[in-house]
Amino acid sequence: MDYDPMAMDDAESLGPVVKISQADSVRVKFELSNADISFANSLRRVMLGEIPTIAIDLVEIEENSSVLADEFIAHRLGLIPLNAEGVESLLYSRDCDCEEYCEHCSVKLTLHAKCTGEENMSVSARDLVPSGDRMNQNLGTPVITDSDGLGPLLLKLRPGQEIKLECIAKKGIAKEHAKWAPSAAIGFEYDPHNKLRHIDYWYESDPKAEWPPSEYADWEEPPAEGEPFDYDAVPNHFYYNVETSGPLSPDGIVTEGIKVIQQKLAMLIHELTEGDGGDGYNGPRSPEYNSGPDGGFGYSTSYGGNGGNQSSWGGGGGSTTPFGQTPFQGGNSWS
Amino acid sequence: MPSQLKTSGSDDVSMDDAPTSHQPQQDESMMDQDEVEDDEENDGEEEEEEEEEEEVQRVKLLPGSTETAASFEFANEGHTLGNALRYVIMKNPEVEFCAYAIPHPSEAKMNVRIQTYEGTTAIQALEKGLADLQDLCDVVNDKFLEARQKFQEQNGVTA
Repeated sequence: MDYDPMAMDDAESLGPVVKISQADSVRVKFELSNADISFANSLRRVMLGEIPTIAIDLVEIEENSSVLADEFIAHRLGLIPLNAEGVESLLYSRDCDCEEYCEHCSVKLTLHAKCTGEENMSVSARDLVPSGDRMNQNLGTPVITDSDGLGPLLLKLRPGQEIKLECIAKKGIAKEHAKWAPSAAIGFEYDPHNKLRHIDYWYESDPKAEWPPSEYADWEEPPAEGEPFDYDAVPNHFYYNVETSGPLSPDGIVTEGIKVIQQKLAMLIHELTEGDGGDGYNGPRSPEYNSGPDGGFGYSTSYGGNGGNQSSWGGGGGSTTPFGQTPFQGGNSWS
Repeated sequence: MPSQLKTSGSDDVSMDDAPTSHQPQQDESMMDQDEVEDDEENDGEEEEEEEEEEEVQRVKLLPGSTETAASFEFANEGHTLGNALRYVIMKNPEVEFCAYAIPHPSEAKMNVRIQTYEGTTAIQALEKGLADLQDLCDVVNDKFLEARQKFQEQNGVTA
């Protein structure tokens, strides 16, 4: 079986090509060409749903005299983007040896604010203070990008009201809950002139006049007047627009995405080759692949694990973010 | 594992023996044991040894597979891997047919069917497909880093 997977058709003989058209601290726009749509879509899906990040998963509320309910605040806390630098060395709580959480699988953040003045007080993500041991000084710190340095608004307090709570941030992926998504949005498009007819435009009288051209329309030749439909054509140029919500840099999302695909594959290869010695593929498997010492194979999807979702009814006064207990945690309908 | 009671639970069960809800369950478990021979021995062991492991085996060879034509079941995988893997395996000139399916959206399972020409096996083709897809990822990653480097140089950005 010797053939070069990269050198196939004429169009693909060059191998994949990447061209970046725009990049800054919040987004990267790039074109992937000479690749198949199946791979391009895998990359998109993986960037959307399977890159591990860190988010608040457990909240213990000690004092809450604000007008907002505990679970309401817990939910808001869950959605606060936290810096995911070095999250790869953090364990998933369900893989950790500890009882509930520890410094190897979580980051602790505390919030204590009391309105002592005459005016209403705003409590924002800046007031969440990481405490205890951490992998590095950035992991779990709230992402703050606004010019005032406040971060997202959490709640407001009237004079005399107080909020005191402790948050446990854990590692997870967006397939389990969107709060773990590293990206705010991922744009993905191809074939700006709709030569392949994958889109059926709705129109009043003339679709060309009524639909604005794509931003990438100049990147590809428009179809010649009266050009016959090419039924052999396949999409070959894919335009991504990766926008981060803060946990990772935009190009970090792309490289992490590719890494996640590779870890998936590595895990499967590992499992297949390991089984070769035994009777086909049905030999007993070691459970090692969930927490391989080499780190590279340490990827495991988060569904099915209960470790990440503690019930709020156990701890006195504690409450998780409400989505930690949805009935969906067992099965993933989004696969 | 009791494999003895096959006869009593066969096709023509009288309906008064047990509530109807009971019967298909019985039948199914019997059939499993019969058909998936090579699964049987290991399943038994696994259940005993690794009670805590919820997911022990990620890839399963489905029954009815031969050397050159096999179906694999991947646990906890979906379109993300399925479609790309299908594409890469299909690129192999020794592969006659490859397709993937997700039999039911609420089950986290993905099936891949591979049929090869003589000279290679479906298992080899799957392994090669996985390795090739990994190479493809490597190339795209390198190209992306290269493009980022170039972009940063052109725009005078550091870091």
